[in-house]
Amino acid sequence: MSSIPLEGAVSAAWPEAHTPEAAEALPLEFADQEQSIAITGFWMFLVTDLLIFASLFAAYAVYRPMIASGPSAQQLFHLGPTLLETLLLLTSSFTVGLVVWSMRRGHRRAMVGWMVITLLLGAGFVATELHEFFGDVALGASWHTSAFLSAFFLLVGTHGLHVTFGILWALALLIQVARKGINSITARKIYTFSLYWHFLDIIWVFILSIVYLGGKIG
Amino acid sequence: MATVVEQQQEAVTAGRGPTAGSALGAERALLRFLEPHFAGEGFPWTQLWGYVGSLVLTFAAFGLVIHHLLTPTALLGLVLVLAAGQASLQLGVFMHLRESRGPAWQVLPLGLSFAIGVGMIVASLWIMAFKWGVS
Repeated sequence: MSSIPLEGAVSAAWPEAHTPEAAEALPLEFADQEQSIAITGFWMFLVTDLLIFASLFAAYAVYRPMIASGPSAQQLFHLGPTLLETLLLLTSSFTVGLVVWSMRRGHRRAMVGWMVITLLLGAGFVATELHEFFGDVALGASWHTSAFLSAFFLLVGTHGLHVTFGILWALALLIQVARKGINSITARKIYTFSLYWHFLDIIWVFILSIVYLGGKIG
Repeated sequence: MATVVEQQQEAVTAGRGPTAGSALGAERALLRFLEPHFAGEGFPWTQLWGYVGSLVLTFAAFGLVIHHLLTPTALLGLVLVLAAGQASLQLGVFMHLRESRGPAWQVLPLGLSFAIGVGMIVASLWIMAFKWGVS
């Protein structure tokens, strides 16, 4: 395995980080240079996704007072289901941390177990959110009702779609791990999945703080 | 007994002592926040404490809002500070922000896009506040 020397100050500051001996001692997903580059690429995807969510947050912040004839944030939101969704997602963030932790020890069964728990918690989150959305629409608070609700459903719904996609992705990864075991490619995919899942947890914390708790503050 | 990961950690950090040349030392100090760092220990204490910390931050935010102990502006500010704390915790504890083969370059675009995002939100609110004033 060859390593690409970096130009300039940083490669001068850390010449030893690029020696093959040092690289081989790294966890599986970083030891292979190609997979390591894919991980950096996935960080760049998260950076662009962050900008999408920032745009949706900006739209929500601007449209929040424009409730037309519909309910306001204070009238619509309930903190009970919101707390449940938050606890489900925070716990799944912890369990996906344990997925990577057990993967790096080569504990494949433990890794798969934590992954399944993560998926169930994620599914619980999506179910709670859908229940909330259908409840709102049944009350006449749909995305047609006001600019506030359009922005609300767009922001929170985009996050929910991300979580749904993450569940499908993880199911595909479980099949792949069952067939091929833990190698540098599947390890990299599990690692990037964990980055994605924690990232969604961070976005949710801001949705919780700005949309739900912010809505109750008034 | 050192675990496999601890041995890996030692192998990675070995030979990263202070550089003899002072110019190199200064550059290293300047870019220290990009220095790669790998997580790994025998029992997932970091994850466990990260989880406990994230729960504490969440319940603190809910408690503050339910009991309305502060003025709305101060309350929203404090909730956002708790959210920023939660985000840093997730990045540091769970996302292993500085794991990388070389310098952890992802830190720079991530910080930049976060700053752009905050700018977009604040500037949108600011410019739309003018619109309500003149229309």
